[in-house]
Amino acid sequence: MKTLIYTEWLKMRKYNPFWWIMGITALSYPGINYIFYAGFQDITSQPGQASTYAKMALGNPFAFPEVWHSVAFFSSLFVFIPAVVVIMFISNEYSFKTHRQNIIDGWSRDRFISSKLMDVVMITLLITILYFLVALVAGLINQERLIRDTWGQSYYTGLFALQTFAQLSLAFLIGFLVRKAFLALGIFLFYYIVLENLLVGWLSWKKVSAASYFPLEISDRLIPKPGFWYITNPSAYQKDLDAVPLHILLTVLLTAFIWLFCYKLNRRRDLK
Amino acid sequence: MSIVLSVDNLYKSYSTVRALNGVSFEVPENSVFGILGPNGSGKTTLLGIIMDVLRPNNGGFRWFGKPGSAEQRKKIGTLLETPNFYSYLSATDNLKITQAISGRGNKQDIDTVLRKVNLYDRRWAPFKSYSLGMKQRLAIAAALLGNPKVLVLDEPTNGLDPVGIAEIRELIRELKDHGHTIIMASHLLDEVERVCTHAAILKNGQLITTGHVDEIMKDDDLVEMSAANLQALAAVLQKTGSKVLVDEKTNMVQVVFPQGTAKLDELNRFCFEQGVVLTHLILKKKKLEARFFELTNN
Repeated sequence: MKTLIYTEWLKMRKYNPFWWIMGITALSYPGINYIFYAGFQDITSQPGQASTYAKMALGNPFAFPEVWHSVAFFSSLFVFIPAVVVIMFISNEYSFKTHRQNIIDGWSRDRFISSKLMDVVMITLLITILYFLVALVAGLINQERLIRDTWGQSYYTGLFALQTFAQLSLAFLIGFLVRKAFLALGIFLFYYIVLENLLVGWLSWKKVSAASYFPLEISDRLIPKPGFWYITNPSAYQKDLDAVPLHILLTVLLTAFIWLFCYKLNRRRDLK
Repeated sequence: MSIVLSVDNLYKSYSTVRALNGVSFEVPENSVFGILGPNGSGKTTLLGIIMDVLRPNNGGFRWFGKPGSAEQRKKIGTLLETPNFYSYLSATDNLKITQAISGRGNKQDIDTVLRKVNLYDRRWAPFKSYSLGMKQRLAIAAALLGNPKVLVLDEPTNGLDPVGIAEIRELIRELKDHGHTIIMASHLLDEVERVCTHAAILKNGQLITTGHVDEIMKDDDLVEMSAANLQALAAVLQKTGSKVLVDEKTNMVQVVFPQGTAKLDELNRFCFEQGVVLTHLILKKKKLEARFFELTNN
């Protein structure tokens, strides 16, 4: 395990695109949350009765404990940025033919996939730490009273980590199958940003239950929209919260299937 | 002498093409084993299978008497097909990865092998800035890292200049002298002839012959002669009952004797007694190239 992480670290530490994209991620996660926070501040700090009503109705989604949920939701919209790194890492191995050389040098085929699994785990960990810091800082800034339930919803850290890991695993699968960086990135981004949203939106509108079971949607539903989003329909919020355990199970199953498939395929095929 | 590698009845097909068709041979310890064959004969496929990057359809192989495994590959220095490295990393950083995966060598060894292949001065330059020859030399350095007892080299002199080729040849000889076993695929027969002790010849995925180079080269004696009157010489030689070939372009007569039976002093005396004075008399050693063409019917 230590050797695997060390070897992957040797590959990534001088790979400039990795640091650029991680830098962009480090800016985008606080950025997107700040944009929503600024919007919330605008609505609730205007003079007059309306802002008071808004404040009462919305609560403060950036105060503890709701901040864990809100920041997890807003940050999760940007998982496609670290997904670019995941795709680059696997497609690099194909373009440099090092997916062969690593085996020739003495890794087993399973160990090669494990090294890529470590990449996804390491990136998930970095992203989760970033989320945790953003949520913590936002919560502390918005701490209105001394006694608050600071860690009440901090379990969203686990849900955020699982969601990120699951979606990055899907990005890995596309990179692993397609091999060519630009093609894989194109397919993933098109699916992530356009296709699945269109399909899920259309099926939801048609009230078809399959809408909840698309590969990304399964893990998207680990973190429902924050409570204020459902201000006119609290029962729908409860329904989405109740569905989270099922989606945890489905996410774990899908992600396990993705990795088992990658291990199995890599064992069988010729490494060209 | 123990067997380093035994290949047993290997079959490999790519859609409609049969790349290997029941190939079997053994590589003895401390040999320089050449795998020869024209382009597309299955050399690289064979090496790909024994290094586990290709899966055979049938058959198997054993390294050091045991089925192939990742642990065994760690002990083997390999250059397969093209130099495969991370383009954004320097020679040193790439070799650190080779070292981390294989467990062969240490930091000092990285410098040692880079000096050996004359890349030490450019060790911090990224791989993508290297010329073809430099890339090849880095691949050889990676194979040499940690001084493995067995080396697998696929076309090791690809992209090298004449000096580089001579250096690699010398390096292979040196490694053999230090007890290493080298398995080398090449289509450069001259190169193979100079360094190999054993060989396997492949054609269209089939093993044509294998064994010690001397056994493969075992063939009739060919004696080349000349005299002022070529026709008179040919007529005299016909009396020996041997096969005589007259080449008027080179002004030579060639006589074929069963292996080991050509006696130049007796031939010289016989011709002189028959009234023909020789101006040229030599026992020709058949080149591996000629033997290769014979065996592969090219």
